[in-house]
Amino acid sequence: MQTLINILVLASIYALISCGYVLIYRVSRVLNLAHGEFMMLGAYGLLATASSFGAHPFAAVGVASVMALLVGVAIYFVLMRHMTGESVLAAVLCTIAVGILLRGLITLTWGAQQHYPMEQLGWVNSSISVFGDARISAASLGLIIATAVCYSGLFLFLRYTRWGIQMRAAGQNPLLAAQRGIRLNGIYALAWGLATFTGGIAGMLIACDSGLQTTIVTIGLKAFPATLVGGLDSLLGALVGSLIIGTAEVLLINYVDPLLSDVAPFFILLVMLIFRPWGLFGTREEIDRV
Amino acid sequence: MSTPATLKDKAILEVDKLEVSYHRVVTAIQGVTLEVRRGQIVALLGNNGAGKTTTLRAISGFLGIDDARVSEGTVRFCGKDIANRFPHEVAGMGIVLVPERDKVFENLTVQENLEANSPRQSSTLSRMQEAVYAYFPLLARLRGRQAGYLSGGERQMLAIGAALMCGPELLLVDELSLGLAPIIVEELAERLRAIRDELGLSILLVEQNAHVALEIADYGYIIENGRIVMDGDRERLTGHQDIQEFYLGAGGSGRRNYRDVKQYRRSRRWYG
Ligand SMILES: Nc1ncnc2c1ncn2[C@@H]1O[C@H](COP(=O)(O)OP(=O)(O)OP(=O)(O)O)[C@@H](O)[C@H]1O
Ligand SMILES: [Mg+2]
Repeated sequence: MQTLINILVLASIYALISCGYVLIYRVSRVLNLAHGEFMMLGAYGLLATASSFGAHPFAAVGVASVMALLVGVAIYFVLMRHMTGESVLAAVLCTIAVGILLRGLITLTWGAQQHYPMEQLGWVNSSISVFGDARISAASLGLIIATAVCYSGLFLFLRYTRWGIQMRAAGQNPLLAAQRGIRLNGIYALAWGLATFTGGIAGMLIACDSGLQTTIVTIGLKAFPATLVGGLDSLLGALVGSLIIGTAEVLLINYVDPLLSDVAPFFILLVMLIFRPWGLFGTREEIDRV
Repeated sequence: MSTPATLKDKAILEVDKLEVSYHRVVTAIQGVTLEVRRGQIVALLGNNGAGKTTTLRAISGFLGIDDARVSEGTVRFCGKDIANRFPHEVAGMGIVLVPERDKVFENLTVQENLEANSPRQSSTLSRMQEAVYAYFPLLARLRGRQAGYLSGGERQMLAIGAALMCGPELLLVDELSLGLAPIIVEELAERLRAIRDELGLSILLVEQNAHVALEIADYGYIIENGRIVMDGDRERLTGHQDIQEFYLGAGGSGRRNYRDVKQYRRSRRWYG
């Protein structure tokens, strides 16, 4: 039972991070390799707001979330907007540079030591027992709930709202979208904002659960295989991919060797790339185009 | 039509000595001058590579990825210069293009294709959608179908319908007849004329098939190698010897050798 809970928590972490990769890739074909750093920035953002709004924890979380959203929008307008028309590779390299820069700035500002945003907010990460003997921490439960909410929200948004439909349209044919009066800049910025928002939420909750250190960025890196296994352009794929990677990782830790935890996602990714390079739910041509 | 003559005669689109280059070197069109008046259907006829698509694209705006720009000349819409604007700005002003290829969002359903547009006035949205389904009842039946599975004719209807959803004043249609059976083309052309009459918009229609175009157009231009070589109203163009031979496929008598050359050109147009 406890194993099942652990799998669910880990899969939620990966899934919540993965949807950011998918969103940006789907609308603009750009692989955002700085996504792990954006997640990290979200977590440190909470640390910052927690120390200034310490008395109002919900305000702190709210402000940090909005900041995470705005960071994505800002990055799009300041940097990525100028990459439209350049090759996709150039844009991807640009995101790598942004990632390295962000990591450096964060280390400079907050140092390499461990922080505990949960305590700063004045909350306790209490352990809740579920199904009798199994236990789950409050922050982990929050993670699962956040993932469920974000994914259902995104599914509904993409399927039923005008902006969501425009997002899918722009991802398929940007030129036609522009000719139909859709502002590509607005759509791309929205995708970036949603990606850093969901990533930031993931970062905050992870930091609340297990403390915050610069090594948190490796979790973002490990979510990338989960996205690829599912197929880069599919939200459903990201969900399933995260579940697969999460399961494999937890089982390996439990039954083989805890040291394998960092290797597991990439091992599964390799197997996947050999047999089905476009992922479980991805579209075949989508990958060829890159 | 009931529009007063003064308004009717006013040019809604004026293209003057337009020159477009791709990748800063290839000059695709040079000195295209044409005019569309309010409520008119104007045909732009020409062979493969003559520059028809480029002309329409120059009017509707290029994106950075096209690496193309208007290097000379002006495009005026309702008196305002719109050369080198972004496509979404041009669409917002009321010029909407039905492109030659990739004219629908293949991953969206028919209904979503209609909804995806940014309309100029959102108030008219549901009314417009009803109108589109009334013009193309087939689309209403297919509304849940993914657009990628539509046939060529259905795609063309959807593309026109989706363009109408933007509430255009000027509709640019690139190759209405491309790859479609004559009977479908006939039907679409009739539908376009009805749309023009009832919605009071103007249409610039690009065609290789002069038969279809001259049937519904009020005025026509012939483009060759990036230049307008002839223009006139429908009567003048259909009556013109060269047009008959080049584009309408009616063989003149006498001049045997000259005709052979044209025969060659004509077949190159069909099979090329
Ligand atoms: N993206 C591009 N890059 C470079 N040259 C281009 C590009 N698009 C068109 N051209 C060139 O511009 C010229 C005009 O092309 P255009 O597509 O406008 O012709 P067209 O009249 O629409 O032909 P068709 O009837 O085949 O559609 C051609 O010589 C073509 O090779
Ligand atoms: Mg063309």
